[in-house]
Amino acid sequence: MASTFFGVETALRGILAQQRALEVTSHNITNAGTAGFTRQKAELVASSPYDTGKGLVGAGVDVQGYQRVRDNFIDIQLRAQTMKTGYAQARQDGLQQITGALSEPGTNGLNSLLSKFFSSWQDVANSPEDGASRAALAQNAQALSTGFRDLSGQIGVVTSQTGLAVTDTISQINSIGQRIATLNATITAAITTGNQPNDLLDQRDTLLDQLGTFTNVSWTENANGTTDVTVGGAALVSGSSATTLVESDFTSLTSGKLAALVELRDTTLPGYLTQLNSVAKSLADKVNTQHALGYDLATGAPGGSFFTYTAGSEASTLGLSAAIAGDTSLIAASDTAPSSIGAQAGNGSNAIAIANLISDPTIAGSYVSLVTKIGSDTQESTRELANSTALASTLDARRQSVSGVSLDEEMTNLIKFQRGFQAASRALNTMDDMLELIITRTGRAGL
Amino acid sequence: MTLRVTSGMTSSVVLADIQNASAKVAALQQKLSSGKELTSASDNPYAVSRALQLRNDLVSNQQYQRNVSDATSWHSVTDSTLGHISDYVLRARDLVLQGANETNGPGGRSAIVAELTQMVDSIKSEANTQIAGRYIFAGSATTTKPYALGASDTYAGNTDTIKREIGPGVQIDLNEAGSAVIGDSTAGLLKSLRDAITHLDAGDTASLQTTDLTSLLSAQDAVINIRAQVGARQTRLDTATSRLQEVEQTQTDLLSKTEDADMAKTYVDFSTQQAVYQAALKAGSQIVQSSLLDFLR
Repeated sequence: MASTFFGVETALRGILAQQRALEVTSHNITNAGTAGFTRQKAELVASSPYDTGKGLVGAGVDVQGYQRVRDNFIDIQLRAQTMKTGYAQARQDGLQQITGALSEPGTNGLNSLLSKFFSSWQDVANSPEDGASRAALAQNAQALSTGFRDLSGQIGVVTSQTGLAVTDTISQINSIGQRIATLNATITAAITTGNQPNDLLDQRDTLLDQLGTFTNVSWTENANGTTDVTVGGAALVSGSSATTLVESDFTSLTSGKLAALVELRDTTLPGYLTQLNSVAKSLADKVNTQHALGYDLATGAPGGSFFTYTAGSEASTLGLSAAIAGDTSLIAASDTAPSSIGAQAGNGSNAIAIANLISDPTIAGSYVSLVTKIGSDTQESTRELANSTALASTLDARRQSVSGVSLDEEMTNLIKFQRGFQAASRALNTMDDMLELIITRTGRAGL
Repeated sequence: MTLRVTSGMTSSVVLADIQNASAKVAALQQKLSSGKELTSASDNPYAVSRALQLRNDLVSNQQYQRNVSDATSWHSVTDSTLGHISDYVLRARDLVLQGANETNGPGGRSAIVAELTQMVDSIKSEANTQIAGRYIFAGSATTTKPYALGASDTYAGNTDTIKREIGPGVQIDLNEAGSAVIGDSTAGLLKSLRDAITHLDAGDTASLQTTDLTSLLSAQDAVINIRAQVGARQTRLDTATSRLQEVEQTQTDLLSKTEDADMAKTYVDFSTQQAVYQAALKAGSQIVQSSLLDFLR
C-alpha cells in the first residue's frame, strides 16, 4: 500500500527534474557563442516504480545524468584535417615570403638584372675602346651581384624566421601538454567521485583541437577519464603528467604546422638556396672562363677573374672583382692578343662571346626554372590550403551540427520544461486539494 | 534525422562565404588596377616562366637593334669616305694621263706633281676618318691613327676585322683595313701615286703610260670592290633591322598575351564577383539575426 503522500513525492520529483532540465537549457543558451562548447542534455528517466502488491505504479521522473552531445568519430576526422590545414598554412606562409622576395615577373627581379648585364656586354662590344660602356657594364655587374646577394639574404632571413617559429611552436605544444595534464588530474578526480565534468572535457577537447593544428597528434582515452597524448612520435601527456619535449623528440613529424616549418627550414628553403648558388656559380665560372680567353685594354694581358665568390655560398658572396671595379680597362673585350697596347682597342669579339652566355641553360635558364619551381610550390601550397580549409570547415559544420547550440531548439526546450514544471506544480496542487479534503472534510461525523 | 542547423554553424558559414567573396573581389581588383594577369611567380608558374624568357628575348632583340644601328652608321661613314677616295682616284688618273702626254713640259709636270702630292695627304686624311673617336680604317686598332700625313706612307693599323652581332649567333664584319683600301708605301693606291710622282719628276712618260696607269686602274678597282662589299653589308643590315623589328612586334604581342589581363573579361568577372559579395553581405545581415526568440512573446 502506497503512502498517502506518494503522489506529492511524484509531483515533487517532476518539479525538480524539470527545474534541472531548465538549468541545463539555460547553460546551453548562455554558452551558445563559447568556442569548443558542447551542448548538454539532462537525461530524464522514469523513477523506479513502486510495487503496490497489485502491480507497479510509476513514481515520477529522475535526472540520471548530464550528457555532452558529441560524436567522437567527427573529432578524429576533424583533427586529421586540421593537421593538414596547419601544415598547408605554415608552408604557404613561408613560401609566399620567398615568392615576394623574387619580385618576378618584374623589372627589379634577377631575370631582368641578368639580361641587362649581358646586354651591357654587347654595348662594350660595340665600343670596346670607350670607358663609358665599360663603366656601365661594371655598374650592371655590381647590380647583378647585389641582386643575387639580396635574394639569398632574403631566403636566409625566412629560413631563420622559420627556425624561430619551430622553437615557438614546440613551446606552445609543451604548454598545451601541461594544461591537458592538469585537466586530466581534475577530470579523473571528478569522475572518481561520480561526477561528469562536462565543461572540463570540453576544455580538453579544445586543447586537443589546437594541438592538431601544430603537429600530428594521436590520443587514447583511459578508463579513469584521463587522455594520453602522443605528438609527432613523442609521448606528450601520460595521465596527469606532461613531458617537456625538445625538437629531437619529434621523431615522426608527418603533419601540422611543425612538420611544415621543419620541412621548410631543413629541405625546401636550403634547396632553393642551393639552386640559386648553382646559378651564381655557373654565371661567375662561365663569365670568368670566357673572360680569361680575352685580352684587356690597359695592358693587353689575358683577362683576370671578372666575378669573385666564396665556394659554397656563391650567391651571397658574388661580387665584381676589385681589380675590374677599380679599373674598367681591365675588362677583356678583345679576343686577340694585341701586338702592342691599344692595337686591338676596337676588338669586341670576346665581349660578344660573353654576351652570348645569356642563352646558356645553366644561367638564365636555370634561374627561370628556379622561379618556376618556387612559383609552383607556392601555388600548390595555396591550393592545398584552400582544399584542406574547405574540408575542415565542412567537418567543423558537421561537429557544430551535432554539438552546437541551436537557439531555436533551446527556446523550444525552454517552453517544454517550463510547461512541464507548471504541470508538475499543478499536480502537486491537486494532491494538496485532495489531502485537504481528506484532512478537513472527512470524519467530522463525531465532531 | 535531419541536419541540425545551429546558430554557430550559420554564422561561420556566412562569414566564410563573405571572406571568400571578398578575397575574390580583391584579387580581381588587383588585376584591374595593375592591368597584369601575372603579378607573382605563383599566379601561373608556367606562364611566368614563359614571360621571363620572353622578357629576356625582348631585351636581346632591342640590343641587336642597337648593334645594327651602330653598324649602320659605321657603314654609311665608310661608304661616303670610300666615295671621296674614289673621286680622288679618278682625278689622279686624269692627272697621270695629262702628265704622260709628251706635250707637257717640265713646268706642267711639276704642277701635276704638286697636286698629286697634295692628293696623297687628302687620301690619307680620308683614311683617318673617325666615328666617335674611333678610326674606322685602322683594323681593330681603332685608337691608332692609321696614316701619318707627309712623306711616310706606313700603315699603322692592322688587318683584323671587327665583328658586330646582329642576331642570335649572326655576326657581320664591320670594318675595312686601310691597307686594303689605299695600300701603303709598298703596295696599293698610295704606292701607285708615289710611283707616278717619281716618274713625273723624272719625265719617264713611258712608265707613266703603262705601269702607272695600270696600277692606278687596279687601285680604283680595289676601292670600287670594297665599296660594293660595304653596300652589300649595308643591305644586310637594313634587312636585319626590319626583321628584328618584326620579331620585336611578335615578342611584345606574345608577352602581352602572357602577362596582361584581358580587361573586358576581368571587368565582367569583377562586376559579377562584386554582386556575389554584396549578396553574401545582405544574406549575412538577415540570416544571422533571426531565431525563434524573435517570435516568442
